[in-house]
Amino acid sequence: MLTEFGKIFIFILLAAIFVIITLFISKFVRPNRPTKEKYLTYECGENPQGSPWVQFNIRFYVVALIFLIFDVEVVLLFPWALAYQEYGIYGFVVGLIFLLVLGLGMAYEWRKGDLEWARPQPKPPKLDEILKTKS
Amino acid sequence: MANTNLYQSLSLIVPEIVLTIALLVLVTADLIFHKDKKSIPFVALAGILLTGYFTLIQIGNYGFAFQTSASAFKHYGMFASDPFSIFFKVIVIVSSLLIVFFSFSSDEIQKITDRIGEYYALIFGMILGMYFMISATDLILIYLSLELLSLSSYVLSGFTKLRDRDSEAALKYLLYGAVSSGLMLFGISLIYGLTGSTNLYIINSLIQSPDVNLFTLAFAVILIFAGIGYKISSAPFHFWTPDVYEGAPITITAFLSVASKAAGFALLIRFVKTTFVSYTDPNGMWQLINVFDWKTLLISISILTMTLGNFSALWQDNLKRMLAYSSIAHAGYILLGLVVFSDQGLKAIFIYFAVYMLMNLGAFLIVMLIANKIGSEEIDDYNGLGFTSPFLGVAFTIFLISLTGLPPTAGFIGKLYLFIALVDAKMIAVAVIALLNSVVSLYYYVRVLKHMYLTSPTKDTPAVSASLPNTILVSALVLATLVFGLYFSPVVDAAESSLFILGL
Repeated sequence: MLTEFGKIFIFILLAAIFVIITLFISKFVRPNRPTKEKYLTYECGENPQGSPWVQFNIRFYVVALIFLIFDVEVVLLFPWALAYQEYGIYGFVVGLIFLLVLGLGMAYEWRKGDLEWARPQPKPPKLDEILKTKS
Repeated sequence: MANTNLYQSLSLIVPEIVLTIALLVLVTADLIFHKDKKSIPFVALAGILLTGYFTLIQIGNYGFAFQTSASAFKHYGMFASDPFSIFFKVIVIVSSLLIVFFSFSSDEIQKITDRIGEYYALIFGMILGMYFMISATDLILIYLSLELLSLSSYVLSGFTKLRDRDSEAALKYLLYGAVSSGLMLFGISLIYGLTGSTNLYIINSLIQSPDVNLFTLAFAVILIFAGIGYKISSAPFHFWTPDVYEGAPITITAFLSVASKAAGFALLIRFVKTTFVSYTDPNGMWQLINVFDWKTLLISISILTMTLGNFSALWQDNLKRMLAYSSIAHAGYILLGLVVFSDQGLKAIFIYFAVYMLMNLGAFLIVMLIANKIGSEEIDDYNGLGFTSPFLGVAFTIFLISLTGLPPTAGFIGKLYLFIALVDAKMIAVAVIALLNSVVSLYYYVRVLKHMYLTSPTKDTPAVSASLPNTILVSALVLATLVFGLYFSPVVDAAESSLFILGL
């Protein structure tokens, strides 16, 4: 006697077995002639350079966090925009409070300087200094 | 009408609304007074006092907020305002008040004055989470409030950033917290799959039917218990406690050990009582629905918790760590009050918590004042301190004796009512084990006293004296600990009048 979950379990099991069997069959049947080009990450002529594990600037994370907050805000505001009229002034005020609280968060970020994109300040090399160090 | 329903709900969540507004005012004040942040702690203080006032006037205004619209279960809501929740909310707000007072004089907090606004805002986030947690009767609200509390406390436990161990504490707390809240969420999803509802009352009526899958239910309940057990630091989920308590600033450690634990226990009690108890008989015994053996689970966990806590505390040389293990042990004792499954046990929990708040916060306050002066919490640095700083030494002695549970302090009353409840429920063996555990705890509490009083002070021993506000604070806590040890009927009366949990 199988429950509904039991059927799903058998389904998952069958799917896994199917994948394993196909992979094994193709491994025995197919020809195997690797070349250097075939082992590259992109086979279409682009030579990869360096490791993909580079460090990103920490400023991106701040921007991503701020973006996430306002992204979630939109998710919550869409259903509200569709339904608030049914609730009259009450529904409107609730949405307003939500936006005010979010606005406070925005003001907080602004005041704390998280919206400032701290620019790197490169020093352009000066000709006479270079000449001094060389001589 | 949905609208009138929502309007009525607002009158039941006034304390929470006040808390939210106070939080917003705090953030705004932090933005306006950008340069000079001396006024921020007072804004926080005012917010807490206002919340306390509105919590107290909530007495008598009981009912369900945010009721479900399903007609069959119309009178059950997501949020219950009842005497039970008021009692725990008072405990939370009183300890928050004391924590704000602690923060005024804490050396660690003084060093981060430029971020003091965030500090108090996060504390308010924690209080808000606890308030909702205490009243939540819906699995979704339970999970949300648990997360609100947890996320604020993760940040706060590493807030000072003064030493490496602060970050270690925050990271460990976050990792353990993430795992256990994931487990809890899985349990909630299983329960929802079984019953089709997240409301505890509806789940209660549905699991009384014979065709519920008992194995899945037990599995889900154990997973949910993992989430709650982590908050109250009961035995298999306690590993974060010593590290976090040691690394966090002392004010936050004290807050976590009392308020966060109180909220966790309130959640556990409400979850068990509303979901798994079919009715309360005239003697006040709760009749469990025969689907999950809470009794065996809770007895084994509480015995494990207090034994582990007490025996690990024996070897600790850092006082914060020692108090962390002692708070684990106390969680074990408090769990015994739930094991009884009766109104009497609940009354014992109330009394124990009121007492535990006073003595534990008092002990942490003394540790903080001494650490302010000598910059260390190691037990060896306390050598001879009892002679050079007599006031703090005597106060610490009283708190430690109270934590052990010896008369004439309040700790004795807490333990007394707990053991009476156990003996009345004919669980003598458990009571004897708890009693033996108290004897073990005597050793490590008295060890501190030995260092303070049986080692003669050298000329290097610092004299720690408290400032006038701190003297008043310590004296108030000491007096409360002593007075409630002798004249305890107010606490008992308050506990007796708070036994009612809405709905059953």
